[in-house]
Amino acid sequence: MPYEFDEILETIRMTEVEHFDIRTVTLGISLRDCSDRNVNTAKQRVYDKILKYGRNHVKYAKEIEARYGISIANKRVSITPVSIPFDGFGVDELIQIGETLDKAADEIGIDYIAGYSALVQKGMTVGEANLIKSIPYALANTKHLCSSVNIGSTKAGINMDAVNLMAEAIKLTAEATKERDSIGCAKLVVFANAVEDNPFVAGAFHGVSEPEVVLNVGISGPGVVLDAIREAGSVDLQQLSEVIKKTIFKITRAGELIGKKVADKHGVPYGIVDISLAPTPAEGDSIADILKAMGVEDVGAPGTTAALAMLNDPVKKAGLMASASVGGMSGAFIPVSEDMGMIRAVEAGNLSLEKLEAMTAVCSVGLDMIAIPGDTPASTIAGIIADEAAIGIINDKTTAVRVIPAYGKKVGEYVDYGGLLGKAPIMNVRNISSSNFVGRGGKIPAPMRSLTN
Amino acid sequence: MKFTEEDLRRITMIAINELGEKASPELVKKVVAKTVEGYGIERPVSNGNDKSSGRVILTAYGLNKPGIIASLTKALGEAQCDIQDLSQKIMSDFFTVIMVIDISGSNKELRELQDVMNRISDEMKIKIFMQHEDVFRFMHRI
Repeated sequence: MPYEFDEILETIRMTEVEHFDIRTVTLGISLRDCSDRNVNTAKQRVYDKILKYGRNHVKYAKEIEARYGISIANKRVSITPVSIPFDGFGVDELIQIGETLDKAADEIGIDYIAGYSALVQKGMTVGEANLIKSIPYALANTKHLCSSVNIGSTKAGINMDAVNLMAEAIKLTAEATKERDSIGCAKLVVFANAVEDNPFVAGAFHGVSEPEVVLNVGISGPGVVLDAIREAGSVDLQQLSEVIKKTIFKITRAGELIGKKVADKHGVPYGIVDISLAPTPAEGDSIADILKAMGVEDVGAPGTTAALAMLNDPVKKAGLMASASVGGMSGAFIPVSEDMGMIRAVEAGNLSLEKLEAMTAVCSVGLDMIAIPGDTPASTIAGIIADEAAIGIINDKTTAVRVIPAYGKKVGEYVDYGGLLGKAPIMNVRNISSSNFVGRGGKIPAPMRSLTN
Repeated sequence: MKFTEEDLRRITMIAINELGEKASPELVKKVVAKTVEGYGIERPVSNGNDKSSGRVILTAYGLNKPGIIASLTKALGEAQCDIQDLSQKIMSDFFTVIMVIDISGSNKELRELQDVMNRISDEMKIKIFMQHEDVFRFMHRI
């Protein structure tokens, strides 16, 4: 037999029992050739282009799924940051583009289309400022659209004017979608050091240096890692790191295979594989459970940040070895609402916003899917964004903020979206003010690290 | 180079103008086709040339009972599948079967074979997985 009995059973166990899946195959489509002075022509071009490349996206992914017996949870599309091709449009026209994107997503049968975005780390054009203003309405009027804005980078520093605008946009989005627990905020990410080839929604977009069309893959599998750690028993930390590395290596290989095959079916270039441990609300598919299996009593206990750092690192190392083109975030995600273990830790009072912030310094993204009281002032949200962005630019890593100031709700209540977005307990935010600091506006200069030439 | 739909439209418009009175739908079509001939060939996208075998790996497990192997092999035989390797283990009351099967000569697609196996799986109350060999090769062989 060309494979050992155990090897075959291991693969079956990973795919069938431990929820290993390809989290997303994301087709990146450039919209740079879709600009036009006339908004109706532009809308038609956008719609035609997405259908041209994306028409068979879901069908192809399903075929590959059946062939290899590995489930592909989501099929998605990312697009050029909308502010780039449509820089000349006003708020109303941009909203119309957003609605067109939503319609196209509906037509090709995908759940999310991401890239209603702007990159404003160093400054804003008129169009970019318009896009930021339009976000709350675009998100309120659509179902599938996701938005992200990059407000800082190691090279450019932090654009505090944009941070303040985004804090306002988050508040307005929460209000505009108050009927559905402020769900708009779950589709809005504020980045520092955003990556151009991230396949994971809501923060995905098709970067300006990307080709016409490309297929990126996001793989996950906290369940597989959790079982491997449990099976390893009481080994020391170095050995534990090896266990994680070996497991990730195997699932990255599978992701690489699936990505290439889906790209081949489309006849488009294969971009990157992003191996990120992303939890889902399903039991056992939890980063919190992994941290607990590593030995901390609950997430939030001293040692949690070290454990998370130790989880994040072998994920990257194994990914690098397993794939010729690792990209995106590649690490561990720690969203609260999508992870039952995190939710329980918050409910038990073990996990605070501040501890989550510390954890984001060593994992792959940032404050993710965190519900906060609806009356949190915009200046406080701006302060939260600035803190996260500072961690990002100083450590030369991506950080993000996806907070939900749940309209009309207070600590102790919940927002509940069901599905992949899950439900989140509203967390306490300190009510001491940041307004005099963030209100100064301007820019936080680029750090020392930016001068590497 | 490749032509976008807009390029083609533009070429067609030029052809119609050039042809003037003579422009008939057939003639325009012919002229345009001749003009773009040989230009529009897109270079095929290559994402590495991993050779993929025509083999699949079938794994079945469940409570042991007579006739499991028989029903599996009968279905595979009918579909003209070549069983290249077979190994089986029984642990207490559970059995596990792993087969390496070449389906390149089969009259059925993998999808159809999976449907057949799903039927057997329901009848025999066992679990059957049929996956392309590549996934095992990628995960366990460098």
